[in-house]
Amino acid sequence: MSRTINAGRGFCPGAGLVDSAEIPSFPDAADLMLKPFGNPPIEEVPGLLLLADGGRFEGLLFGAQEQAEGELVFSTGMSGYQESLTDPSFAGQVLTFTYPLIGNYGIHAQCSESARIWPRGVVVRQAMSCPDHRDSLGSVDDFLRLHGVTGIQAVDTRAITRRVREHGTLLCVMGRADDERALKRRLEVLKAPDLEDLVDEVSIDQPVLLNPGFRGPRLGALDCGIKYNILRELCRRFEVLWCPPDISLDVLVNEWAIEAMFVSNGPGDPAHPGKATNARRTLAAAVASGMPSMGICLGHQLLGLASGLTTYKMRYGHRGANQPVLDLTEKTVAITSQNHGFAVEDPVQGMLAAHPSGANSGPQENLIGAEVSVSHINANDRTVEGLDIIGLPAFSVQYHPEACPGPHDAAPLFDRFSEMVSSTLRGDS
Amino acid sequence: MVLGSGPIRIGQAAEFDFSGSQACTALREDGYHVILVNSNPATIQNDPEMADRVYIEPLLPDVIRSIMEKERPDALLAGMGGQTALNIATDLAHAGVLEELGIELIGSDLEAIDAAEDRDLFKKVCESIDLPVPFAIACNSMEEVLSAATEIATWPLLVRPAFTLGGLGGGTVWNTGELVEIASLGLRKSRINQVLVEESILGWQEHEYEVMRDSADNCIVICTMENIDPMGVHTGESTVVAPQQSLSDADHQYLRDCALRLIRKLNICGGCNCQFAWNQATGEVRVIEVNPRVSRSSALASKATGYPIARMAAKIAVGYTLDELPNPITGEGTTAAFEPTLDYCVVKIPRWPFDKFRTADRRLGTSMKSTGEVMAIGRCFEEAFLKAWASLEYGEPHPRPLTRADESDGEGMAERAHEALPESTLVEWLRVATDRRMGALLEAFRRGWSVERVHEITRITRWFLHHFENMAKVEKEISEYIGSIENLEAYSLRRWKRLGFSDAHIADAKAEFPKTGWKNLPTPAGESAVMARRHQLGIHPRFRMVDSCAAEFAATTPYYYSTYEGIDILPDIEERTKERMVVIGSGPIRIGQGIEFDYSCVHAVKAIRESGRDAIIINNNPETVSTDFDTSDRLYFEPLTLECVCEVLIRERAHGILLQFGGQTAINLALPLESRLPDLEKMNLNLKILGTSTDSIDEASDRERFESFAERIGLKMPRGATGTTADDVRAAADKIGFPVLIRPSYVLGGRGMEVLSDHQQLEAYLKEAYLAPDKPLLVDEYLGHAIELDVDAVCDGQEVLIGAVMEHLEEAGIHSGDSTCFIPVQTISPQMVERVREQTREIGLGLGIIGCYNIQFAIQGERLYVLEVNPRSSRTVPFVAKATGVPMARIAARATLGMLLKDQSIPNPRTDLVCVKAPVFPFIKLTGLDPAPGPEMKSTGEVMGSDPDPDVAYLKARMATEVPVASGGGAYVTVRSADKENVVPIVKELLELGFKVHCTPGTADVMRRHGLGVQTAYRITERQQPDALNLMRKNEIQFIINIPTTSGGAVRDGNMMRRLAVELNIPFVTTLSGAKAEVSAIRAQRRGPLIPQRLKVTYLKD
Repeated sequence: MSRTINAGRGFCPGAGLVDSAEIPSFPDAADLMLKPFGNPPIEEVPGLLLLADGGRFEGLLFGAQEQAEGELVFSTGMSGYQESLTDPSFAGQVLTFTYPLIGNYGIHAQCSESARIWPRGVVVRQAMSCPDHRDSLGSVDDFLRLHGVTGIQAVDTRAITRRVREHGTLLCVMGRADDERALKRRLEVLKAPDLEDLVDEVSIDQPVLLNPGFRGPRLGALDCGIKYNILRELCRRFEVLWCPPDISLDVLVNEWAIEAMFVSNGPGDPAHPGKATNARRTLAAAVASGMPSMGICLGHQLLGLASGLTTYKMRYGHRGANQPVLDLTEKTVAITSQNHGFAVEDPVQGMLAAHPSGANSGPQENLIGAEVSVSHINANDRTVEGLDIIGLPAFSVQYHPEACPGPHDAAPLFDRFSEMVSSTLRGDS
Repeated sequence: MVLGSGPIRIGQAAEFDFSGSQACTALREDGYHVILVNSNPATIQNDPEMADRVYIEPLLPDVIRSIMEKERPDALLAGMGGQTALNIATDLAHAGVLEELGIELIGSDLEAIDAAEDRDLFKKVCESIDLPVPFAIACNSMEEVLSAATEIATWPLLVRPAFTLGGLGGGTVWNTGELVEIASLGLRKSRINQVLVEESILGWQEHEYEVMRDSADNCIVICTMENIDPMGVHTGESTVVAPQQSLSDADHQYLRDCALRLIRKLNICGGCNCQFAWNQATGEVRVIEVNPRVSRSSALASKATGYPIARMAAKIAVGYTLDELPNPITGEGTTAAFEPTLDYCVVKIPRWPFDKFRTADRRLGTSMKSTGEVMAIGRCFEEAFLKAWASLEYGEPHPRPLTRADESDGEGMAERAHEALPESTLVEWLRVATDRRMGALLEAFRRGWSVERVHEITRITRWFLHHFENMAKVEKEISEYIGSIENLEAYSLRRWKRLGFSDAHIADAKAEFPKTGWKNLPTPAGESAVMARRHQLGIHPRFRMVDSCAAEFAATTPYYYSTYEGIDILPDIEERTKERMVVIGSGPIRIGQGIEFDYSCVHAVKAIRESGRDAIIINNNPETVSTDFDTSDRLYFEPLTLECVCEVLIRERAHGILLQFGGQTAINLALPLESRLPDLEKMNLNLKILGTSTDSIDEASDRERFESFAERIGLKMPRGATGTTADDVRAAADKIGFPVLIRPSYVLGGRGMEVLSDHQQLEAYLKEAYLAPDKPLLVDEYLGHAIELDVDAVCDGQEVLIGAVMEHLEEAGIHSGDSTCFIPVQTISPQMVERVREQTREIGLGLGIIGCYNIQFAIQGERLYVLEVNPRSSRTVPFVAKATGVPMARIAARATLGMLLKDQSIPNPRTDLVCVKAPVFPFIKLTGLDPAPGPEMKSTGEVMGSDPDPDVAYLKARMATEVPVASGGGAYVTVRSADKENVVPIVKELLELGFKVHCTPGTADVMRRHGLGVQTAYRITERQQPDALNLMRKNEIQFIINIPTTSGGAVRDGNMMRRLAVELNIPFVTTLSGAKAEVSAIRAQRRGPLIPQRLKVTYLKD
């Protein structure tokens, strides 16, 4: 691209909020495109996508043009591919976009949700080679190539979507068409990424204060794969300590003096014995101690597990920007952005829209010691979308009030949390 | 009570039939009694099956009030009938009528309507929620307009009148002169005499959001749309893409928030359309407007997403919330409270009438000129665009290189078709938005222009330009392909098909677009060869479902589009036990082929379904009822080309196809389809073309064959001849004798048809006409002073059912589609009617018609002539059905399916009323078009009036056209010499009625000789005062009788006066019979208030 870009670099959620000179800054996935980079290879590389159910799709490779594998999922959002590609919740997965024209407006600086691309492979009908937007730094193809992620295009994404819808999410491999045998062999031995400690892969290692000196309560944000925009939203309301998922409540309270707790979105099975379980314990302890707490997505599932509910793998999950969520108290509907493959069991309705594998966490111990109620459900499949801990200042939602991508309908939840924190700290009951 | 939108006209087409019909169904499901009022007889919504009580009455506040007094409805739903219905609702509400009668206005809030329509109020609303609007000043006078221009101080400026339909009377102005001209018209056209003078945002992108909201404040965005044409072109005139393509998620979410803020602030419950201007270079936004009702855009959004907006809006109007309603597309387990997501790309292209109105100003701006639109769906932009192009039916099913013949029509076209369009012209066609611009884009890239250069000229978003460039690249690739069509390899062919290239396009490009002459396509041999190779390679389109959810849920609505990729999932076609019948729709609404044909298609579908068969419809018009998701068993949204139709037939393994309901579009497929049947049989398709055989169709349509048929059974036809050279034509005219009726053989609704009275006019015509060996001109004897009749009938092969014999008010020579006609006949003797009926039977049985047909007769003295036989459903079928209560289309469809007339319990026709059908003209929208009816059809739609008294019936029809009927004041009379004596009794009557009558000097002399006291008004060319134009401007003329020397001839004196009459909305008539009828109407109007007539149509039971 020959256009001059005046965009900034990196991710610095504290900028503009506090006067400190010591505001930490982090890389944004698009930073790689601020430097000059080469053109994609001209030659077309025939590629192949093989599904665990025997599905075989021919296409053309783009991006890194190597071999890729993972759990095949689809997202129905029509825009917001950059945000999705950099959403850590997609770790371990191969992401199919149902919208056929991906990359229309290019890749923009400071619009990523993390420092890298997380899906292990990307499946599209057409990766647009001529993006058009004043902020565009380059194409989706460039983006994937610079991050070493393989994509396949010119495949029938609708047929893939139907397979996933009918069979549930399944494993897949993709690579060069002339490597078909090797791809098949790989597929035979491929293990579900749910078995990996994906939270460990996507989260930070050391706590860091994002907006030191911010006039607001100090919040510990447990990173299970947190999206940058959640941190931005939190930083506008709290002094935010971005911390690893396995940090203990003792450390948080005694060393960092946090006053509120937040648990983020993230990839994989919430019941995985790795760092997700560490985060669950920390969250449970915080909630039980009466600390105001909020969870989003994986954080929501962890709150469910902590309060004794079962989590389970969904047939194909909710991924997109048009999921209707019914607020059971207000009786209103919000259109929400979602990205999850697991859900919390409804105490009455059970495991709705479950995966054919039947995978679930089994019965769980209530670590909080308080009852939980369902506050929101999905207006389509009635699955649990929100939880309230009865008698304690804690709630969680399955969907993404921070949007990015997606609609802003649920954004007031951050204010609700902020008010909950203030009133708890003031001692209101 | 649900209000319709009245006649089809530019800016208000079939979309309101579609939305009103959905609303009626939605309300009746819930047990509401629906009273529907619409003056348009051609709609499905005012079929008795759709509503409990139907009134075909003028859509005027007083009339609606009297119906309300009679019916006492509980609520009024006005948001389904476009601007017409909304205006009536606000009138009745402001006048206190609704309150007085205890009628609740549902679905739209009076304040919301006012706020959305009054520009000043709207600006305040936007400012109150921090949304920027273009800097603008509302003006109520020319002084205010001029001072506003000084204040804004930048050119160009945009003038937008408040409260008008389709942006009527607005425009972009570049200097004070243009400002005065446009603003004065705008002030007159605005219902509140207000125009807005505003900063121009020309060149910005235009985005639309279709939003819904319920009483619980739940809001959803149904669809986003991006206009390819930048700001400055009305969205109805733009080529539009859905969903939007060039906005990032952040941009889109910002606009989504703006749209939701607007609908909430305006407190709209139901659907609304928000338009935004977006500066792509800076990210600035301006709110352009909000339509607080369902609209053309919402019809498009419904068809583009599958989400039934009108249905949901009706449900919301009666109190449902979105989450209580199931999503009818995906069925149980999903709710209507969700935003559709697409996995395809939709392109809409407007259909303009410039192919018929060659003199009309083709420039597109802020007011509408298109009569209809087409929509196409593909998995990429190129595919959707090329499919949409193929749906337009301008004569070129794919874009071809532009030549000088495209520049203008007339003699020498064949030679000019060999010269490329000059570069300077191409630049102009790109710079100024006209109907030619999309073709010009592709042409520019064919010539290797860069995206940047084209962007500089057009300001069109580069994203789109890249795709046009790609199409040109692929064309080049095809033409450079080494190897014959027979040896095309699968990989390339599949790739081209995937990008939307039709077989014909590939064949044409492969042959490097042979210069075949203007509107002359290469022989179909190439296309057939590509098809054969494609089928040999097993390459067929896949049919994808429009399911509103990108396959996330299993959908239940069978609404499909074709695309070339991947694996098709056939919905268990083998298990289908029902016979499958395909109905071909009529494509975009255009002059000569309007909603009447959609009406017939819908009835055909219903007849098929009633008979226990599966009804499948193929059509591409997003505005219509036929393309509603639940009209047919399966809907295919496809171009109506042979290729696309055949692929659907193959996919469906169809048993039969019905071609007689979709107008000329469908019937034109008969011969090509028949020639392809052997190919289709090889693919196990045993298809029958149902109804009239192709041979009979040909016999009825081919002039020579029909002449010998007529001779055989003893029918009289006007003498005629054809000529392929100018000399032939001259000789033919001499042989027949002037006046002659002349027309090209390449006809749709009478294009280029004129009456010529002498050699001079013939020479003028020949200069503009296009003549080629295969496109001869037809010269016919012109039957002066003849009465024209239209007959619609159904034949089952054994028996004929005559629906009605209609008498035209105007004498032969005015196109039948433009005539005012009466059921029953008014001046014809019963003996003559019997002869007409007899000949109708003879023709039907003699030609072997199965299904419906239409015959035009002319009576000159005692002589009965057959003018034309159309072996298909006609424009008048719905009018006949509604006037007589005999559902002709349904009966015809049953006959087509093999059910004999004697086995159908056909009701007796209603005879207690006189019914009048009157045309509605687009003159106000199309400048450069002579506003006088002639042999070439000009009307866009029709209305109906009915009453026991013929004068009152005519009066109602006239009132329904929304051109006022004069009640008094001044009349201006100017008639050709031949008619001066004949007009005497009319002038006498006008004087008796208290009119002050102004005549041109010649006419005045004759009147005075008869002792009539008239004033003299001069012709404009006489340069004396007072002249007619002056009197009209001074508001001294309320009615004009203007009978020109030749109707629609080359010499068009009086054009200026008629044009001014159109602009001032002064009624005028151009025929003697029209003048008589108008005077009777004026008299009838004084006899007292109109009594609304309820429609009675019995529906057949099996």
